Amino acid sequence: MKEDFQMSKRHWRSVVALVVLVSLFAACKGGTGGAGAEPELLRVWITWGDNPAQLQELFNRYAEANNVKVEINSPVEDDKVITALSGTEPPDVLVLGGPDNVASWVNEGLVAPLDELAAEYNIDLNDMYPAMLAQGRYQGKLYALPWGSDTYGLYWNKDLFEQAGLDTEKPPETMEELLDYADQLTKVDENGQITQLGFVPDFSWGHMEQYIKLYGSFWFNDDGTKVQLDTPEMAAALRWEQQFYSRYGADEVLRFVSSTGEYDSAQHGFMAGKIAMMVDGEWMVGDNFINGLAPDLWYGVGPIPYPAGHPERKDTNVVGGTVALIPSGVENKDAAAKLLAWMMTPEIVADEMVVNFNLPSSKKASEDQRFYQNEKFGVFIDLASSPNATFQVFTPVSSDLLDELELIEQQVLHQGADPGPLLQAAQAKLQPMVDEVVGK
Amino acid sequence: MEARRMVTPVPRAARRRRWSPQVRRSFIKGILFISPWILGFLFFNLYPMTKSFAMSFAEWHLRIPSEWIGLANYANLLHDRRFWTSLYNTVYMVLFAVPLTVFSAFVFAVLLNLKLRGRSVYRVIYYLPSIVPVVASSMLWMWIFNTNNGILNVFLGYLGIKGPSWLTDPAWSKPALILMGLWGIGNTVIIYLSGIQDVPVSLLEAAEIDGATWLQRLWHITVPMVSSITLFNLIIGVIDMFQYFTQAYIFAAVQAGTTAQQLGSPLDSTLFYSVYLYNRFQTLKLGYAAAMAWILFVIILICSLLLLRASKRWTYYESEGT
Repeated sequence: MKEDFQMSKRHWRSVVALVVLVSLFAACKGGTGGAGAEPELLRVWITWGDNPAQLQELFNRYAEANNVKVEINSPVEDDKVITALSGTEPPDVLVLGGPDNVASWVNEGLVAPLDELAAEYNIDLNDMYPAMLAQGRYQGKLYALPWGSDTYGLYWNKDLFEQAGLDTEKPPETMEELLDYADQLTKVDENGQITQLGFVPDFSWGHMEQYIKLYGSFWFNDDGTKVQLDTPEMAAALRWEQQFYSRYGADEVLRFVSSTGEYDSAQHGFMAGKIAMMVDGEWMVGDNFINGLAPDLWYGVGPIPYPAGHPERKDTNVVGGTVALIPSGVENKDAAAKLLAWMMTPEIVADEMVVNFNLPSSKKASEDQRFYQNEKFGVFIDLASSPNATFQVFTPVSSDLLDELELIEQQVLHQGADPGPLLQAAQAKLQPMVDEVVGK
Repeated sequence: MEARRMVTPVPRAARRRRWSPQVRRSFIKGILFISPWILGFLFFNLYPMTKSFAMSFAEWHLRIPSEWIGLANYANLLHDRRFWTSLYNTVYMVLFAVPLTVFSAFVFAVLLNLKLRGRSVYRVIYYLPSIVPVVASSMLWMWIFNTNNGILNVFLGYLGIKGPSWLTDPAWSKPALILMGLWGIGNTVIIYLSGIQDVPVSLLEAAEIDGATWLQRLWHITVPMVSSITLFNLIIGVIDMFQYFTQAYIFAAVQAGTTAQQLGSPLDSTLFYSVYLYNRFQTLKLGYAAAMAWILFVIILICSLLLLRASKRWTYYESEGT
């Protein structure tokens, strides 16, 4: 009897252990939930950021003024974002590096529409640059608000211009001139090895969205219902890019480019004076890049050249960048919208984007003198304010289209393929995918 | 084998009758001891597997109702060019990297088994790369592979060879990854080494007395005696290679700079099966990704079974032979 009793006691202990284990699991799940009488907790996830402490400090200003707690999570990986959006406790506000996936997430019902909330919380949409605001719309509704933005321009190395006998203050005006300048700025040694390149169209990554807009078209029509890949404009833009490779041998150009250093280092092709001209964004002039890594570089920035015969397209540039949204699973959308409205006030936009070296989304914020301390940065603000500043239409099929287009660009530029048939094949594959999404 | 017989305490006859209290108690205790694993298996293996199987027959959505579409995901895969590209790239790796890895590991194990001064130092040196995290070693190798300044091409240059653009030339990107993989074969070498040390000395001595050369002893005694280990290494290698992901992911991510991510670059030549599966998952084609996962499961299953079946002709187990 006694033995039996001991046994069942031990047995009972094991059961307790099991219960503890199970409740531990449960506790893990419920840990972040209960807010109750404590100041309300708002969670903000930001997919970028190399300085989480600075972001936390910024949001602490809101927390103190409103008696809430704001918890910043930065940088968050994309995979976590997808899991959180579909889970029961998504972040109250999600800040993304770009609007690329928003349409696809809207299609999955993961993002809350913002039109009514923006009106209710007096978010001044008229103060936002129209092109930046437009990238957050999908099928007529607003889902994401621009916080900061990027745009691209032409960088040219004035030392190399001088060496080649070019006017250092006169960058190429047209895309045809750019080809000519690139020729004059490219050096090949007696062994046929490239030692300096004038211009590489897909350096440091592809810029098809800029070129195709300069050619007067885009791969989606305005409402995102039609794919426009097999157009003369697409083929022309790709053939224009191709020449920068075919003139010097694609293999040699690739070899040369792949031997240049990493993007955020002084060995980077442009900073090291290996590549004379490039297309890059406004952050490049900042402290994390040229200002910090190659402060003595003598260079200029200006608009990307337009096709000769289309001077009306001068200053065309595609803006895109940081957007903020509210996930559909957020229970207290009012608290989230209030925080979002605060984020969009000109002072906050200015404070954050000055630190980030990104363009502010608010016109009022861009009057902040801190943005003009670096005069080259001002060139990009002017570009983003230009009537020719434009944006990309995104659809749920965007990422598939961009994958396909990236491949075509590589085949055309690096392998000398004819863009025509490739674009036709992509068109035939992608239009049905768009039809399916639109048909829903 | 001896030990396994001893842990089975229940006589057959007793099992048919009702369990004695003692047996029942030890059964319950056993279950409790193993319960973390059982729970883990149920929640983190069986449930996700069952669910992913169900998902593969649906256009699966996260927040809006999902739609059953039968075999459409599987049918669509057949027409997906990138699916076939990814399968081709993966099979390429399996066909070239696995035999090469197993062969090199065997050669190194034989060399490291030679009675040399400082043998254990060599063993440590050859094993060291295996404890370097994959992310770190991939970053390191990206420097080695740099077209103009990388140590590999500089070295080839001394030999008068113009090294290829390892990471930007689609013809060389996979060989580069295989080469990098060979650096980390330490684990396979260790397994082989233990097998080689198990080869009965009496056999080797007998052969030596009969006048067999070192090479003959290696080929006729060591190779057959470690054949079961070769089979193990082949199967594990095939399974690992079909799931090849991390290195390709890092190469693509780092090369693309800080903002974009071109999975599979250059020209989809490093778009491996798992990489494409991940890409589909990220673009929320969840049902499609699940279907891909199940096809991969079936492919790996078939390959393993084929290897096992074929191995009957060339593997030797000591326990069967004696």
